[in-house]
Amino acid sequence: MTSSEAAPPGSDSTVSTGRPLPFDTSVAHQARVYDYMLGGMDNYAADRAAAEASIKIWPDIALGAQANRAFLGRAVRYLAGEAGIRQFLDIGTGIPTAGNTHQVAQAIAPESRVVYVDYDPVVLAHARALLTSTEEGATEFIDADFRHTDAILAQAARLLDFTKPVAVTMLAILHALPDSDDPYAIVATVMNAVPPGSYLAISHAAADLLDPEMLESIKDAWRGKMQQQIIWRTREQVAPFFAGTDLVDPGLVRVEEWRPAPGTKDERKFAGWAAVGRKR
Amino acid sequence: MSTRALGTGQSGPGTDGQPAGGFVLRLLLGAQLRRFREASGITPDRAGYEIRASRSKISRMETGSVGFKTRDVNDLLTLYGVTDEQERSRILSITEQASQPDWWNRYSDVLPGWFENYLGLESVAATIRSFETQFVPGLFQTEDYAKAVTQLGHQASSADEIERRVGLRLRRQHLLTRAAPPRIWSVMDEAVLRRPIGGPEVLRAQLRYLSKAAAMPQVTLQVVPFARGGHAGASGSFTILRFTEQDLLDVVYVEQLTSAQYLEQRSDVEHYLEVMDQLSTEALTPADTVGFIEQAAKET
Repeated sequence: MTSSEAAPPGSDSTVSTGRPLPFDTSVAHQARVYDYMLGGMDNYAADRAAAEASIKIWPDIALGAQANRAFLGRAVRYLAGEAGIRQFLDIGTGIPTAGNTHQVAQAIAPESRVVYVDYDPVVLAHARALLTSTEEGATEFIDADFRHTDAILAQAARLLDFTKPVAVTMLAILHALPDSDDPYAIVATVMNAVPPGSYLAISHAAADLLDPEMLESIKDAWRGKMQQQIIWRTREQVAPFFAGTDLVDPGLVRVEEWRPAPGTKDERKFAGWAAVGRKR
Repeated sequence: MSTRALGTGQSGPGTDGQPAGGFVLRLLLGAQLRRFREASGITPDRAGYEIRASRSKISRMETGSVGFKTRDVNDLLTLYGVTDEQERSRILSITEQASQPDWWNRYSDVLPGWFENYLGLESVAATIRSFETQFVPGLFQTEDYAKAVTQLGHQASSADEIERRVGLRLRRQHLLTRAAPPRIWSVMDEAVLRRPIGGPEVLRAQLRYLSKAAAMPQVTLQVVPFARGGHAGASGSFTILRFTEQDLLDVVYVEQLTSAQYLEQRSDVEHYLEVMDQLSTEALTPADTVGFIEQAAKET
């Protein structure tokens, strides 16, 4: 038996806002489709069917999920390492897998505090159970829809110190929001709440990195089968998310081209844009 | 519902007289060796030649149906281009372990074959998720509580036999403190916290212990309070075991009075997984659960 009692720091605390999303396994869910593509086992028949339908059209799509995950690792390592960030706001947590944000950050700086935000009750249940912090740091969870920025920020401000830089990560999540939800305003609202010197990391499904016919086929294959639609955006449409920030080298690039680990060279092209920006 | 060979209720031995725990380890080891072989593009013939054996020996090794010699595994790893020292020594240590007698052999007099198989799986699981309707999960039972539970099920047994059964249960708990312990995620019905097994004193001490166990880094406990109304786990207690090895699928363990079911067909497993996920979302969060258990202890 360990001697440590559950007490902050090193604690996992929880706040809840907004309506719960129904737990429905009969339609595919983005987080579980993604889990399947990563080789996870927390997915159901409908998720696998949707994933397989797209893999049939474009076999590399599953590798894209892995490439995105690898970007998470490189970006968070950069943020916790070179950039010296100790507070993370991870919006769109997803089902826990290997190398989650707090694990990457705390491997470099054990005192890192990571706040995870998701609105899927199953994602949250898994996150609360599995994303446990080091003793020195903390992991916290906010149960909220991405669009409810006021609620997210009000809760996050209690868990993070907004007078110090925060890294906001929105990985493979913004493409779940159509323009009618004004995702640009959502990102701007979040970034307005954090001080200069904070960072924004985004990865996003790329409309212009995929053969248009293939893209249409994938959209067709997913139509009606997924709880959320994926809004593929071009590089030009992704760039404005970084308004008010200076992009860290190498800028807004293909997901596999963002600071690849030395000695790795991936010839495959993944349909994702990625960048890290530093708030001015 | 399908039941795998593990659940047939025979008294333990694997295909060549090895204990079931060794069997599970061989299963793991075999699956891993196959993965390495396939990744390196080497045929079973070539691999068999390398270790002075036949192609069929390789396939029997890969299905875990024969024992492994350390020398053979060592040669195969080299052939398959596995050079990472840490990886090699991990695999060689599993090889070593697979030929060791299992600790529970000492309890064979009080250990039914269908449960022995569970111990084998539990010992190599990476994640153990359970839902409990009646009792505190065995891995977290105090000695007094375990004794009271055991007496309920074996009213005619001698004190000595009860002692051995309790001893077996407590020995299982070494799992919690070993190096690289499994992730344990248990959801309990509130009834578990309220039913005074062994009397209020025993339950109170048990609940205090449970709230301490919740603070272990690899342990997650959740309670479904009565106030939440009905819940998805209407069918009773069950356990889902997950393994690190991708080739090993999840196994659902459902215990009955005189036997147990081991479900591994994806369609069956998925149904239990869904109920478990549902229960996890209905239950109190892990953070709130600790306070709830402490409150229950006060009220006992």
